[in-house]
Amino acid sequence: MKKRIRVIIARLGMDAHWRGSIMVARALRDSGMEVIYLGNQLPENIVETAIQEDADVVGLSTLSGNHMMLAPEVVKRLKEKGAEEKVVIIGGTIPPDDIPKLKSEGIDEVFGPGTPFGNIIKYIAASF
Amino acid sequence: MTAATRLYDAEVVKDIRKKKKVWQDKSSFAKKKRQHALHTLSGIPIKSLYTPADVSDLNYIQDIGFPGEEPYVRGVYPTMYRGRSWTIRQLAGFGPPEETNKRYKFLLKEGATGINGVFDYPTLRGYDSTDPIASADAGRGGVAIDTLADMQILFDDIPIEKISTSLVTCQPICNIIVQSMYFTNAQLRGIPLQKLTGTSQNDFLMETVITIAPEVLPPRVSFKLSCDAIEFCTKYVPRWNPVSFSGYNYRESGCTAIQEVAFVISNAIACCEELIQRGFEIDRFAPRLSFFLSAHNDFFEEIAKYRAARRIWYRIMQERFAAKDPRSLRFRFHVQTAGVALTAQQPLNNIARAAYHGLAAVLGGAQSVHIDAYDEALCTPTEQSALTALRTNQILQLETGVTHTIDPLGGSYFIETLTNQLEQKISNTLDKIEEMGGIVEAVKTGWIHQKISNAAYEYQQAVESGKMSVVGLNCHQVKEEKLPMALFEVPETLRIQEEKLKQIKKKRNSTQAQHALDAIARCCEENGNLMEVITDSVKACITEGEISRRLKDSYGTWNAPLF
Repeated sequence: MKKRIRVIIARLGMDAHWRGSIMVARALRDSGMEVIYLGNQLPENIVETAIQEDADVVGLSTLSGNHMMLAPEVVKRLKEKGAEEKVVIIGGTIPPDDIPKLKSEGIDEVFGPGTPFGNIIKYIAASF
Repeated sequence: MTAATRLYDAEVVKDIRKKKKVWQDKSSFAKKKRQHALHTLSGIPIKSLYTPADVSDLNYIQDIGFPGEEPYVRGVYPTMYRGRSWTIRQLAGFGPPEETNKRYKFLLKEGATGINGVFDYPTLRGYDSTDPIASADAGRGGVAIDTLADMQILFDDIPIEKISTSLVTCQPICNIIVQSMYFTNAQLRGIPLQKLTGTSQNDFLMETVITIAPEVLPPRVSFKLSCDAIEFCTKYVPRWNPVSFSGYNYRESGCTAIQEVAFVISNAIACCEELIQRGFEIDRFAPRLSFFLSAHNDFFEEIAKYRAARRIWYRIMQERFAAKDPRSLRFRFHVQTAGVALTAQQPLNNIARAAYHGLAAVLGGAQSVHIDAYDEALCTPTEQSALTALRTNQILQLETGVTHTIDPLGGSYFIETLTNQLEQKISNTLDKIEEMGGIVEAVKTGWIHQKISNAAYEYQQAVESGKMSVVGLNCHQVKEEKLPMALFEVPETLRIQEEKLKQIKKKRNSTQAQHALDAIARCCEENGNLMEVITDSVKACITEGEISRRLKDSYGTWNAPLF
């Protein structure tokens, strides 16, 4: 039997909005993935948990505008720990100009406001 | 019901029913099969036509009445917007206080009639800008406040003795500290607390359900802090609304219109019981309880929601709490248009959306209104978008004529029917919460979290299936869209706050600071009113983070049952 895809979902820093991250977490779970929801975290803890839990995907969520400061840090720390094979995706209110910047910092995909669940599920499924 | 009190004669209603049936049978429009039944956003079925038969049981005097009179369905004041228009209270806050002070002055110069100040993520959760978990969010989503000195800068040169201020201090842990700073600043400027007018948000559901932070206080404690602030204002700041039950934010998280009103009212009931327990008469504090609601997409349901909320509140205050002062019976509320209904796609469309939302708010009799800026799905509003939102509010007030008569939709067969249906459903939810032992218990068990999350998931599924249309998102999309405007960039905040904090900690009397913090810890142990101690303590230049750390050390923290 194929191993279920394991995803951890975290809200970056102090971001206050849980609606998006919880909705995506529920949709991924309903699509058959295993989801671990971390709540608010800093990059260090996110990476530590991702490794401990042997997650395939690290899903980040933020609407506060802190993405340029914190998301690249997650990728950097994963590399330092030799865990760069994990897929890192981010969702939230990301201004269009920041999308190429995040991708050049090693974020695999960025999902802006209004993204259908199906796109996220398809993207993750196609990565494995 | 006797024939004399009915709105319509029984024979007339019978005839209307019969003729409606005939109309329905022959009307090809009515016969057309819809793909799916039509419902309001909160799930109430909608008929194609309403007639007097739908409201034939209404007793006008008892169920609807006159503005400013029981049961307040038509409005809380006898003259409504003819006497005084709604307050134009546009939300503002970003970066360090130096920058937000400029935005406040800009909005006031352009005709805003009140201040609506929002605080950044660290401030709302009780963290200093420099705290490692918070520093990436300093100045984001609101203005950064760390110490009394920041509060002095924020309101520098703004006549707070004359204009009213809304402090969007959502979480009680933030409110009890930041509001204390506001009051202390006023006193230092020689303004007596009795003269201050304004509102604080101060809602424990915000702390424990809606915008959960790391290391959140347990629900019972957060609720206590909220009530401490209400008690303090009741005693010393009589013109201040010490709480604004924030249904708006519950709604933004995903709940329905029915849950929004049920949750704010059950929250208010809990506060009333606690204050009575503390020895206050209902009419001493209830006149200052205020509410904050959303204006979402479903135009008529929103209008009916405000009307239903007024009737329910009136009945609860009168029947359950035996309030006598008419001011205790009035459900007064601020409205913000639904940010969650805005799209990042084709953002200028949001100007039209927010204008419809604002129209619903004033047709529903709101006391103050914030209209969202068109770029809110993308960033903090720019000066341009904030000004457009302010002008939208002014156009509504000055050009459309909606202020000329009170409750213009009152008596609409549809609106009155919806008002009744919403009242019934809200009451059912209130009963359920009551059975659970009240709102604090319902939060502790995660029931409220679950309800909101479920409703949000259903909403999202309706958008994704196309059952609910969102222009620009699931229909009428534009391919390869180019953003038509520049986005806001948060000005440098962290370095500025860091520098000020460093200076303050160096200059302050460290013994005094230590004593102030010890006094707070002692007050926690003795279960005293924390606001009385904190308003005094902030003079010793202690920081928000230092105070909240004391509270967390004393009370412990809680893991919210969110997922």
